[in-house]
Amino acid sequence: METTASKRLPRNTILLILIVILVAVASSLMPAGSSTWLWDRLNVFATVFLGIFVEAVPYLLLGTFASGLVEVFIDRDGMSRWVSKRPAAAAISGAFMGMIFPVCECGVVPLTRRLFKKGLPLSAGISFLLAAPVLNPIVILSTASAFGWGQMLLWRFLISLIIAVVVGLVFSVQDDPGEVLLPILSGMEHDHVHAEAGDTVLEKLRKALLITVDEFFDMGRYLIIGSLLAAGLQTFIAQSTLLSIGSGPVLSVLIMLLLAVLLSICSTVDSFVALGFTGAFSFGSVLSFLVFGPMVDIKSTIMYLQVFKRRAVAYIILIPFMISLIAGLVFNYFVK
Amino acid sequence: MPQRMFRSYQGLILLGLCVFFVSKAVNGQLTWYINSRFVPLTIVGIVFLALMAQTIFAENRRSRLHELEHPEHHHDHEHAPSSSALWIMFIPLAIGLLIPARPLDSAAFTTKGFNTSAPLVSSDSSAQIFETESQERNILQWLKLFNYQDDITEFIGQEASVVGFVYFGDELEADQFFVSRFVVSCCAADGFAIAMPVQWEKSKSLEQDAWVVVKGKIESIDLNDTRTPMIVAESVEPADVPAQPYLFP
Repeated sequence: METTASKRLPRNTILLILIVILVAVASSLMPAGSSTWLWDRLNVFATVFLGIFVEAVPYLLLGTFASGLVEVFIDRDGMSRWVSKRPAAAAISGAFMGMIFPVCECGVVPLTRRLFKKGLPLSAGISFLLAAPVLNPIVILSTASAFGWGQMLLWRFLISLIIAVVVGLVFSVQDDPGEVLLPILSGMEHDHVHAEAGDTVLEKLRKALLITVDEFFDMGRYLIIGSLLAAGLQTFIAQSTLLSIGSGPVLSVLIMLLLAVLLSICSTVDSFVALGFTGAFSFGSVLSFLVFGPMVDIKSTIMYLQVFKRRAVAYIILIPFMISLIAGLVFNYFVK
Repeated sequence: MPQRMFRSYQGLILLGLCVFFVSKAVNGQLTWYINSRFVPLTIVGIVFLALMAQTIFAENRRSRLHELEHPEHHHDHEHAPSSSALWIMFIPLAIGLLIPARPLDSAAFTTKGFNTSAPLVSSDSSAQIFETESQERNILQWLKLFNYQDDITEFIGQEASVVGFVYFGDELEADQFFVSRFVVSCCAADGFAIAMPVQWEKSKSLEQDAWVVVKGKIESIDLNDTRTPMIVAESVEPADVPAQPYLFP
């Protein structure tokens, strides 16, 4: 531990210094006001990155705070009493837990991780992870205000529910959580903060906040890496080239799925963005965007990799991808 | 890194983020990044960050006192999580401090593109746009009227007054320019640009991305095979960047 930590520190420090120098050189080369190409790109990059970051931080804070509260107020026995042991029931109840914990895709990862630590069955946790960013009151309202109380809302929620339950059931086959979760979780790495039986509510809240800080730093860095990537892609890849490829019933669905991953926008508002595509894209393609986007995007994928083993993450991405694709195709070919 | 030192850095970064958000909220630049609907949520975030920083510093004080009282319990050798968490959390602060803030403008058109039509949100009612005085309508509302009304004759010749930034598109004549705005529903990442052509004889004297108020009469032209409202300008005056540079769908 000692040696890896001390080896790692200088490398990180060097990287940080390099980045700072790079940015400083870039900004000194280009006086403010002059519109050189690189300076423009850098500005767009900074605005888009900070946009995602400023938007996501409160959600991540609420998610990590919920995780802290779960840690201090819920014990393992309580969890096993509440959640059914039967896989199908667990997967379905997991999918609807989002109605009680209204989190989006940034907040749901730390909360799910904590619930796993408390002994939540795999199937319930995974269907919660996938369904909660859509099946929650805030997202229902925002989808309704963009598309109205109609077909789009109905199918978005039905298909998300189906995907979450299916993936949950797939994982229920696995008896040993250690095969799916990273060792820090299955081994129940000890926290620095422990709730004790005699703690007052105030003391528990203090401990919950300490856990919030640790998780905020732990998950926040992946949120930042994901946002940097998303902002970088948005700065250098033209959306119009993507959209111009995408006509035809199959390609248009694939393009919308790719765009959902690229844009990495919060599920609470993605319907307003999707609305912008309804002119150029069919119902099925936009639906697949709305179903797949909240489950998989750049930042959530990086965050999943901190909870699950790689093979598990592959399943969590591929099964929703296949079902969203099929749903989009079915609507494109048979419904409209 | 010893646990207490790690905690001190955590506290400083939390405090830094908190101050950064507060300064953006105070100077009004928060809406350069997110839709104003989400500002209350950022305020909640600020309160949380402050509380967390306070808790971390208090925890360090406690652990130091505890060590003074019980020198035999030496806890500070415990190793904290990897230090990469610290410097990565510093990146947003570095970007926010080093790169001067600027709202999305025509520089983003190369990748984000721009539209001369706009989607209709289901909670919109065209009646609402009708009731808006013609001079109060913004670019988005004019585009929606022209996109979704079958009969636009009554709008032709109406007085318009819109605010936006200048963009010279290839598809326009020499005495024309676009007056443009970004529409943001959540944060700058989902922003898309909309634009309305303006006919003005002194168009050439304008600078790209300069904010202007355009006043004039509405006319209808065909642009890329779609019916588009155009302003025949009577005056084009320089304007400040509006408090909310983006429009909301």
